[in-house]
Amino acid sequence: MKEKNLNQNLKKLNEIVDWFESQEEIDVEIALNKVKEATEILKEAKKRLKKVENEFEEIKKGADFE
Amino acid sequence: MKEKSESYIKEILSTRVFSVSAYLDLLNTLLQACKTRVVGEIFEFKRAQSGHAYFSLKDKKDGSVLNCVIWNSVYNLCGVELKQGLEVIVSGEPDIYKPRGEIKFKVSSVQLKGEGELKKQYDELKKKLGYLFVEEKKRPIPELPSRIGIITSKRGAVINDFLNNLGCYGFGIKMVDSRVEGQEALKDLLLSLRTLKKQKIDVLVIMRGGGSLESFLAFNNEALVRELTGFPVPTIVAVGHDKDVPLLALAADKMVSTPTAAANLLNQSWQRLEWELKEKEASVFSFLSSFFEKFKLLEYKVKEGLLRIIEGEINDLKTRIERFQSVVLSNDPERNLALGYSIARKSGKIIRSIEDIKIDDVIDLEVSDGIIKSKVNERKKSKSKS
Repeated sequence: MKEKNLNQNLKKLNEIVDWFESQEEIDVEIALNKVKEATEILKEAKKRLKKVENEFEEIKKGADFE
Repeated sequence: MKEKSESYIKEILSTRVFSVSAYLDLLNTLLQACKTRVVGEIFEFKRAQSGHAYFSLKDKKDGSVLNCVIWNSVYNLCGVELKQGLEVIVSGEPDIYKPRGEIKFKVSSVQLKGEGELKKQYDELKKKLGYLFVEEKKRPIPELPSRIGIITSKRGAVINDFLNNLGCYGFGIKMVDSRVEGQEALKDLLLSLRTLKKQKIDVLVIMRGGGSLESFLAFNNEALVRELTGFPVPTIVAVGHDKDVPLLALAADKMVSTPTAAANLLNQSWQRLEWELKEKEASVFSFLSSFFEKFKLLEYKVKEGLLRIIEGEINDLKTRIERFQSVVLSNDPERNLALGYSIARKSGKIIRSIEDIKIDDVIDLEVSDGIIKSKVNERKKSKSKS
């Protein structure tokens, strides 16, 4: 699977969440696939967010040169 | 010692018979001791084809006469135009010309007697050499000179005044010691100019203290003036004067009155450079300090603004991801298995209706910890769904 950036991941997650929230009766089979996909994306998004957060902390430390 | 040599001469004179030539040689040797200065009025002046000049000096009081000769080379340098009736002071020594047995005073330098004559001679020479003194002939003193040639007497206050006022700009100095007083200074000055002409210098300075017109005789000499105007680098003449500016000073590219002024003139371009550098330094400092202020402001904006914005964004993302996670989790069908629900599948497909199966079909019942293989015995439609 081609890696998506954080924004693309968030967009996809948003679509999945919107799908769940818009269903009056959830199709279990589709839901399972959606959950499976969302779990993958969440994993990837968390990993990327952690990376961003670490980089940010580095920058913050570097900027503290008074 | 003197008495001894006198008695020795007397003894020789009384005991020995001389040839004419030997006797004249002896006399000429003795006459060398009579080197002196003699004042008188010129008459019977004539110049031979060779350039040598012959004249007589007459004593104004009793008419006594002294025959004189001045060699061409000395006459050309002496700076005085000899003529009938001129009252002069000549320096030199007597000498007997052996082929004729005549005694003549050999002149080594001449100066005019009396301020009136000196002034007249000065004015005439000034007029004659006027074209050398014009502004168009003046060369500028070089900017940032570093090699200075100096002609002055090493005795006296002049050189000290000059050096004390010369700035510390790494000047290299080549000094030639020269007499600067009286007619005898002329030869020294000419020789010094010729010596420094061969040296690598940027500018030449000739200096002496003040004095009367008479003491400036050497500085009003035509040969010296011409030598200076032909000097290869710009010249500064700092010779103090009373009323009449010495002709050498008029011939210089720059004339100043004191050694201090000459030093200041040489310092000028260096001082200007020093001032410009200080000014540039100040503008660089002010540029840097304003740059640092701007930088600090930017730094503050980055730290207090941008970093906080990014931090907020990251926190926002975290919240969103957590919310996504909770929505996904709460909708996960498998989560319901833990609550006691199960998912029924036939050949991997989820069974949604009793229409999806037949009696004796083998179906999979997925529960929280595994799959139960089951065989359909009966199908019964729910009453509420019918």
